[in-house]
Amino acid sequence: MTSPLLTMNGVVKRFGGVHALRGVDFELRAGEIHALLGENGAGKSTLMNILSGVHAPDEGTVTIDGAPVHFANPREAQAAGIATIFQELDLVPGLDVAANLFLGRELVNPGGFLDVASMREEARTRLTAIELDIDVERPVGELSIGHRQVVAIVKALSYASRVLIMDEPTAALTVSEVDRLFTIMRKLSATGVGIVYISHRLEEVPKVADRVTVMRDGRVAGTTAPDAPQAELVSLLVGRPLEELYPKRTRAAGRRLLHLKDARFHPVRASAGWQVPQKISLDVHEGEIVGLAGVMGAGRTELLSALYGTGLAGRWAGTVEVDDRPVRLESIRAARRAGVAFVTDDRRGSGLMLRTAVGRNLIMSVLRRISPRGFMSMAREAAAVARSFGQFDIRPRNAAIPVGALSGGNQQKVVLAKEILGNPRLLLLDEPTRGVDVGAKAEIYARLRDLASQGLGILVASSEMPELIGLCDRIVVLREGCNVAEFKSGVDEHTVLAAATGKAS
Amino acid sequence: MFDTSTADTDLPSGKTAQKRRDPLALIVRFQSLIGLVVVVIGGIIFSPRRHGQILFIAPDNIANIVRAVSETGIIAIGMTFVIITAGIDLSVGALLGLASVVTATMMINGGVGLVPTILAVLLAGVVFGAVQGSISTRFRLEPFIVTLAGLQAARGLALVVSGNEYINISYGDGPGLAPAVFAILGERLFNNVVPVATIVFIAFAAIATVVLNTTRFGRYVFAVGGNERAARLSGVPVSAVKITVYAITGFAAALAGIVHAGQFNFGSANDGAGYELTAIAAVVIGGTSLFGGAGSMIGTVAGTIMLGALANVLQLNNITPALQLLATAAIIILAAVLQSLVRRREGLVR
Repeated sequence: MTSPLLTMNGVVKRFGGVHALRGVDFELRAGEIHALLGENGAGKSTLMNILSGVHAPDEGTVTIDGAPVHFANPREAQAAGIATIFQELDLVPGLDVAANLFLGRELVNPGGFLDVASMREEARTRLTAIELDIDVERPVGELSIGHRQVVAIVKALSYASRVLIMDEPTAALTVSEVDRLFTIMRKLSATGVGIVYISHRLEEVPKVADRVTVMRDGRVAGTTAPDAPQAELVSLLVGRPLEELYPKRTRAAGRRLLHLKDARFHPVRASAGWQVPQKISLDVHEGEIVGLAGVMGAGRTELLSALYGTGLAGRWAGTVEVDDRPVRLESIRAARRAGVAFVTDDRRGSGLMLRTAVGRNLIMSVLRRISPRGFMSMAREAAAVARSFGQFDIRPRNAAIPVGALSGGNQQKVVLAKEILGNPRLLLLDEPTRGVDVGAKAEIYARLRDLASQGLGILVASSEMPELIGLCDRIVVLREGCNVAEFKSGVDEHTVLAAATGKAS
Repeated sequence: MFDTSTADTDLPSGKTAQKRRDPLALIVRFQSLIGLVVVVIGGIIFSPRRHGQILFIAPDNIANIVRAVSETGIIAIGMTFVIITAGIDLSVGALLGLASVVTATMMINGGVGLVPTILAVLLAGVVFGAVQGSISTRFRLEPFIVTLAGLQAARGLALVVSGNEYINISYGDGPGLAPAVFAILGERLFNNVVPVATIVFIAFAAIATVVLNTTRFGRYVFAVGGNERAARLSGVPVSAVKITVYAITGFAAALAGIVHAGQFNFGSANDGAGYELTAIAAVVIGGTSLFGGAGSMIGTVAGTIMLGALANVLQLNNITPALQLLATAAIIILAAVLQSLVRRREGLVR
């Protein structure tokens, strides 16, 4: 057994009155992939921030090779060999791959000018070392999320090469991209790099991790082998046996709400990487949850955006009906008037006012209703906020704190609750549980089913196949902007995947 | 970003979690009021005295302070709306000059009556601002660049209208003369204590406070600045809100220009230069975030008066204008640093 590369003993961290870490022991060996699991709020991020020098611990010690270390800032952590890859990749989209890899440490020739050729050469060598063939002269903004992730890893490792901390690296990746990432991670660990791998996805853990540590309420709930039964991991995670994750359907589908027949979206101007809906035929009925499956780039987000008048400007052709009446869903205003609501997959970028109080966020889409004659009605405002808090278990139960201080799961509940307040008839959901912990997922699924049973029609796009299969009544598979297959609930993952990729299973 | 839910899950469910208030956050919330109090106390201590009277708090001096800040104050009130939407309006100082010139020209050279003149100038200010807002939203241009162009345009128009001459306002009855009542803008009411210009400023501030805090439009303003994309997706008429806030700054600048003409009895194309920067400083000292989404009118009023009081106490002590500028610079930095510290404490920036 190799000696620990990195150990944490009795680490405590408080933020004001919040006890984020309550005495954490953690160890990482060289060449090990150590999965760190935990619901949002369990303390994973804080632990990671301490390791990467963002925060200093209030109590406890961190040692590397047995010697205690104190990081005053991220730079010192990097100098000690700890590289961190945050969820928001710190890459500059407008610069090319090589320039990103050498950002802040550019090679210069004797004259003091940038030595672009050498940097590109070196970048190529490094990327080839992990068998990734991408053009180092392309701007990072044009790469897929998966490729950006790899660029971020290579960049991080060029700063510091002993410990690699990855925060939910698979959150935005497709299945094949995840597999490639895991291959790269195993290759790196074989060279002696210790990897801390933070994830929500239980099913990924056995595929890649050598050990699993589960955190809960600022403590380590347990460390186990990665092939421990899922049920054991789940109960460690949530501290109680998890009830059925996906609620059962309670009512039959009602009247037809959304009707698309050979619908095609004509954008004013096409945009690279934006798969406009080409030929879509699908229906959503009252009380029904319909899933949109498809590989990345199949046009799931694009379809939802085009049905809500956002994304690319353009117009629909073919049949687009709500309540059996033709509607022009090309503008947000028209979509909302038709009773359509939309929840973005990017809650931080386009869903929430992060520095604004939870209550103010909740009422954003119903301002018109709670301000008769233009003046805000405090009573109606309070009632609306109370309704949201009654419907969704948003924690903490305080409408006055900035929504940005909430955990991802609770932020997602706020985004959802905000649109539900508008009493929509058809809800378009894009990645409703991205970056959300298991507990919050279960709750979101339960609320969506409740809402459907009250007659709401839901069209949900997701890259998480188990979610679509568990949650939806029907799954429509998209490929290159067309719907190519449709399945009832209970279908198995491989069948859907085969339809999505167009390969016979 | 840290997780707060850990501690809160320990609370009995259903009970509202009372988050402990960060004292720093409280200071920032009332920073301009605190700053105002500090300046006033400092002013009393360091004020020169004459016949045992503290000059700084002599009624005449106080009236002078609040009169002197009334024009930039009016502009700062309008600017607060724009900055809460994460915008900026650089044209207001030049627009003040234009408004003063047009006011004088219409009454003196054009023989137009007082009321039609005021209404026309205010309307022109609204249109000028709305055009800037429309250009900015229609062509997706940064308001900084659009209003920088607006500044040049307003100054140019003012020079054209005035022929680069002071247009003196003479009072009396008949064409070519302003009615005597217009001179009231330079006077004081209530036993010669309260300057009329200040009354205009405070009344405008009061209306703006009500609009910002109690109307749907006010919430729209906060929403656009809080997250423009989220606001758009939530059905907020983002472009209309933006155009309206620039129309408000245009109105404010025109109002300040009329007050200017009334106080000094002339219109001058070059007046108001740099007022936009003083107004922005007052807004920021008042706790409104340049990132948008947060701010208050009370803060702006306090910030405006504080800057005026500071300049006044320095003047009373015969301290050079150069040092006044340096003091203002220090206060702006202090206000901005405090706000930044709070954002970091709240865990909203890494």
